[in-house]
Amino acid sequence: MRVSPIVALIAAASLTASAPVPYPVVKPGITLAFPRDHGAHPQFRTEWWYVTGWLRTADGADLGFQVTFFRTRPPVDPANPSRFVAGQVLFAHAALSDPKIGRLLHGERSARAGFGLAGADSRDADVTIRDWRLQRRANGRWTTQVVAPDFALALTFAPTQPPLPQGQGGYSRKGPQPEAASYYYSIPHLKVSGTVRRGERRVAVTGEAWLDREWSSNYLQRDAQGWDWTGLNFADGSALMAFRIRRKSGGTLWAGGSLRRADGTTVMLAPGDVLFRPLARWRSPVTGAVYPVQQELRVRLPGGVHRWVLTPLFAAQELDARRSGLPVYWEGAVRTPGGQGYLELTGYDRALAM
Amino acid sequence: MADPFLLTVRALAKSVPGPRTLFRALDLAVGAGEIVAITGESGVGKSTLLNILAGLDDADAGVVAIEGIALGGLDETARTRLRRERIGFVFQAFHILPYLTLQQNVALPLALVSPDSAAAQAEADAMLAAVGLGGRGAGYARDLSGGELQRVAIARALVHRPALILADEPTGNLDSATAARVLTLFANAARERGAAAVLVTHSEATAAIADRVLTLTADGLVARAR
Amino acid sequence: MRAEPGLWSGRLALGWLIGGEWRFHPARFLVTAVAIAVGVALGFAVHLVNGSALASFDSAVRGVNGAADLSVKATSRLGFDERLYPRVAMARGVADASPVVQLEARIGAARLTLLGLDILRAAAVTPTLIGVRPQAPDTDSAAVFDEASVFLSRAALAQSGAKVGEVVTVAANGREVPLRIAGTLPGVAEGSAIAVMDIAAAQWRFDRIGRLDRLDVKVTDRTAADAALVAVMPGDAVISTAQAQSQQGDALSRAYRVNLDMLALVALLTGGFLVYSAQSLSVVRRQRAFALLRTLGLPRSGVIAAVVAEGVAIGVIGSALGLAAGYGLAWAAVNWLGGDLGAGYFRGAGAGLVFQSWAALGFFALGLLASVAGSAVPARVAARAAPAAALKNAGDVLDPRQRVAWWPAAALLIAGGAVALLPPVAHLPLFGFAGMALLLAGGIAGVPWFARMLLGPIARRSIHTVPRQLAIRHLHGAPGAAATALCGIVASTALMIAMATMVTSFRGAVDDWLGDVLSADLYLRTNAGASFDPATRARLAATPGIARLAFGRQLALTIAPDRPPIALVARPQRGAEDPQFVLIARAAALPAGILPIWVSEPAERLYGWHPGTVIRLPIGGGTRFAVAGVWRDYARQGGAVLIDDADYQRLTGDTGRDEASATLRPGADAAVVLQGLRARIPPALRGQVDITQPATLRRFALMLFDRSFAVTYLLEAIAILVGLAGVAATMSAQTLAREREFGMLRHLGLTRGQLGAMLATEGAIVGLTGALAGIGLGLVLAQVLIHVINPQSFNWTMATRIPVGTLLAVAAALTGAAAVTAALAGRRATSRSAVQSVREDW
Repeated sequence: MRVSPIVALIAAASLTASAPVPYPVVKPGITLAFPRDHGAHPQFRTEWWYVTGWLRTADGADLGFQVTFFRTRPPVDPANPSRFVAGQVLFAHAALSDPKIGRLLHGERSARAGFGLAGADSRDADVTIRDWRLQRRANGRWTTQVVAPDFALALTFAPTQPPLPQGQGGYSRKGPQPEAASYYYSIPHLKVSGTVRRGERRVAVTGEAWLDREWSSNYLQRDAQGWDWTGLNFADGSALMAFRIRRKSGGTLWAGGSLRRADGTTVMLAPGDVLFRPLARWRSPVTGAVYPVQQELRVRLPGGVHRWVLTPLFAAQELDARRSGLPVYWEGAVRTPGGQGYLELTGYDRALAM
Repeated sequence: MADPFLLTVRALAKSVPGPRTLFRALDLAVGAGEIVAITGESGVGKSTLLNILAGLDDADAGVVAIEGIALGGLDETARTRLRRERIGFVFQAFHILPYLTLQQNVALPLALVSPDSAAAQAEADAMLAAVGLGGRGAGYARDLSGGELQRVAIARALVHRPALILADEPTGNLDSATAARVLTLFANAARERGAAAVLVTHSEATAAIADRVLTLTADGLVARAR
Repeated sequence: MRAEPGLWSGRLALGWLIGGEWRFHPARFLVTAVAIAVGVALGFAVHLVNGSALASFDSAVRGVNGAADLSVKATSRLGFDERLYPRVAMARGVADASPVVQLEARIGAARLTLLGLDILRAAAVTPTLIGVRPQAPDTDSAAVFDEASVFLSRAALAQSGAKVGEVVTVAANGREVPLRIAGTLPGVAEGSAIAVMDIAAAQWRFDRIGRLDRLDVKVTDRTAADAALVAVMPGDAVISTAQAQSQQGDALSRAYRVNLDMLALVALLTGGFLVYSAQSLSVVRRQRAFALLRTLGLPRSGVIAAVVAEGVAIGVIGSALGLAAGYGLAWAAVNWLGGDLGAGYFRGAGAGLVFQSWAALGFFALGLLASVAGSAVPARVAARAAPAAALKNAGDVLDPRQRVAWWPAAALLIAGGAVALLPPVAHLPLFGFAGMALLLAGGIAGVPWFARMLLGPIARRSIHTVPRQLAIRHLHGAPGAAATALCGIVASTALMIAMATMVTSFRGAVDDWLGDVLSADLYLRTNAGASFDPATRARLAATPGIARLAFGRQLALTIAPDRPPIALVARPQRGAEDPQFVLIARAAALPAGILPIWVSEPAERLYGWHPGTVIRLPIGGGTRFAVAGVWRDYARQGGAVLIDDADYQRLTGDTGRDEASATLRPGADAAVVLQGLRARIPPALRGQVDITQPATLRRFALMLFDRSFAVTYLLEAIAILVGLAGVAATMSAQTLAREREFGMLRHLGLTRGQLGAMLATEGAIVGLTGALAGIGLGLVLAQVLIHVINPQSFNWTMATRIPVGTLLAVAAALTGAAAVTAALAGRRATSRSAVQSVREDW
């Protein structure tokens, strides 16, 4: 469950577009097939490859990182023969959280697919925008290269667990309406190795990451304001994903998630099984948005309700990309007893439409 | 060197274009408070002599010294300075600038030396009073008669206390009665200030006020019995 | 300080002198100051208006370009292959590249530049071209890639009268497309009429599939990028920068602007001569005053200082007045005439007046210089005079037997002629102007000699009427005095005659040329990029009454990014030569196997494309051509080349044609055929085709011509007026200075009437002398204008035509004005009683 608001921006175009484009509807009852489903699904309106994780440098410092590629299909006229036609548009975000800096470093890329400058392969994961790339190699490892103004990442992600289909075998609902849904799987516990470059300094890093893959044509219902999402890798090998969609009028519109234990047994969470409770809020001095950056996550499991307190690496992990004409969200590395992961908070600046 | 004479001329010679010699070996000495009149026929070179004395023209040979300083050794700049500081002039035409007040006309020699306008005006007023035109300083040339204009010119010639006064037919444009009054004034003022004066004139009446009368001929200056 | 005894300590006396002169002759000083002011005002105004126009042209260029680091631009509106885009985007040193489709478009009657952009690329490279919807940016995102949306700049909205949210019909490249105005372009500079839409939609809707017109490039490493881009550049694209773009605009109009500046300086020059005349007279009048002061001990330099100080005062007052007046004039011109001085170089660029402090300083200095220089010469003359002699002399010492030197004038004239023949500097005829200045100086220096020559034979004859006899003898004896009065008017007349002759020659040449060019009976032309496809062409050609319908294509072709594009004209040229193109040179023999091309005269001169040379043009990926001939063209200053239309079509694949000339069958009625042609134009093209008759075109062309020279005429007229004022002032001053002479003449028994007649005669002779000298000099200067300045500035040549009517009128006006002025001044000079005049001390 991950989406950057920028994709929301583009995707929203299709909701109000004049020319109706037949987007496929997300329905239950599919079976994910790999490597095909690692690749792009160009007929769907939005799709993303979303990697977040924790890195440790050789001298023991902790860093958080995010590398995200989005694909969207704007509602353009299929009759247009131009090679520039915006049939497929790609975006990418990358961010680095370093508590020593105390704010996010980030960069972005965007392009129409085409001319060999940008594209998303539909056979296996291989998304490129100019010099940015996220690719799944033949040996099953994923690699990424991104260059932002203040940093560059060259990372390899080695899977240690099989993909985790979310919802009903990969069909993940986002609201009371059954068509408000996405196809969704995650790969937790990715083993990270590679380098982080800052300025001229290149450091070797290792760590653990989480990949989210989602594609959809109708993500948020109209009365949705935004969402809180978290993905946590636990030291014992288990992995927890939980989200809630917030209603515009307040309260929770929908919720869900999953817990896969180290032994591979998985518990799917229904809307009533997930509760987010803010513990501490942080007000962005830049945007004025107030984010519940520390939350208590309560999950009802077969063995009873479990509680995790999510504590951010530092508070100021807001991603402000308004300079590029984009909205604002919070994407931060968080710790919890026995594990670590990422928390995403959207729609706190203003409501999202997807 | 103490030269008892304010003006000394020795062996002066001057010829003009065409093989004509105005004078050769001309000698003259004029002391303080002395008025010398020079007469002679038209074209004999009276005005040229005066111009040489003023440093406005050069002699072919000979020496002119004013207060012991030989003009021949001075450049144009030094002569100008000398003229401005040590010589006063009176002309036949009065040459009172019509667009300056009488006071300014009289003060001109002072104004050429110092920018102190108050002092210059005070001196000019005193000088105008001395020539009998007290209180008329604010007027202009067109308000005055010829005699009055020449009195202004005399005031201008004396205002900066020159060592030497050169006058060229000072009464040429005046009737005889006025001329007599103006000349008396001129002579008294010059003597009072201890200046040497050289007066060039045709007029016997004018020459009469001088201490000495000399006639200019091709051979030089010839003294005339009084 | 020894060298200048008392120049400073004598400042009180100098102050009295100058102050007294000013109190007594304030009008004289004022008139001279005004003469300087007029020159400064004209120069400054012209400079400001041109500068503002250029600045707004510049900002318009930047508006369309969106301030990219550099751009890859198509050499013509055929564009280049879009596959260049990834090669440029991935070139070394390039951070990002934004592909652009650029079209000249219309919304109703409003003309604008339509840009097709990829918003994602433009956001990184040219963010000023990003559209903003009226609401908050992320509430309605429909328009981001919407193919039916367009964003308009404020100027485009204002000119089209459309509002955000409306659907407008945008016409470009022969297509008309309804688009919804989704928002505005707040980043685009004021005055630039721009529309922005999605690049894919633009390619599709306006028939530009596969083509791009521009790539805006953001660089990380300029040196690397330049090298890498040169390597991938195809023949039909060039690398350009904003700087090169503004140089392009600058180059197009620079010669025109420099010429206008020069004309304005003529007025200033005339003012300088006026100061010279006035100061000369004033010095002569004050000769005895200066002599007195010299006798009293004012140094020689004091006299110079006094006269020059007066010149400085005149210059400061005149220049200050001139700057204020010039700014006012420029403001009025920009606000009421729209910033374009009529030549059409900056049409459509809405100008705002910008005060240019350096230019102000420059013109102030020029005004001061003219005034000081005008005073310095008389000052030196005054200082040279021997004081003793000057004090004795009652007035001018004339010696009619004295020879008047002719050689300084001759030397200056010869030098001027030689300098004018030197080649241009940076495409500007600087030596031409220098030559004109020398010729002018020589001409003026020769006026006394000329007056003597002119009057000599008359003076020797015995004339019966005394007044005339006196008049002629006076002028003959004192030609220098006449020359003093005349130098201003000779200068302004000469320049006016030169300009008039040049413009007459130019207009005549254009008129003749139009006669050749417009030899067909009817002309068709499309607008907003519409074109006649082959089917339409066939149908039109079959219109009854048409003997021949020759279709042509005309498009701008960029040869160098910092030069204005040339016009590429494709017409049927093989076989039958087109009478529209008057060849003035032909290649003797052409290399075999190379396509022939015919270049216009400006193109030949600008690019050195002489007959027989082989050149490469950036069409069809870069093709070699042999220059077969040179044709006369007064329409396209940037140059033009003519290519056979079959060759053109083969090289470019472009089958469109946008103009046609029709020859009618004998006896066919043009109006009927015109109706027939109109009826055969397909409905889609209707409203986009203008059909005109040659007479209309000719009238229009000559109207444009006259408009572009209107400012020139105005500046000339003002220069003449300043000159006439100078003659009037000088004549009257000279006349008043001779008051005693008139008193004496009246003692001798001349009546006042006779004196008046004498003065009128003198005035007329002076005026006529000035007119003849000015006209003669003007005709010489015109040769420099026609054969040096024009070819070097505008790259076209012409034959001389003399505007006889203008010459006669100018001669008559000058003679009359001088006579009247002299007679009027004479009445004043003789009104005092003769007795008083003779008695006068001064």
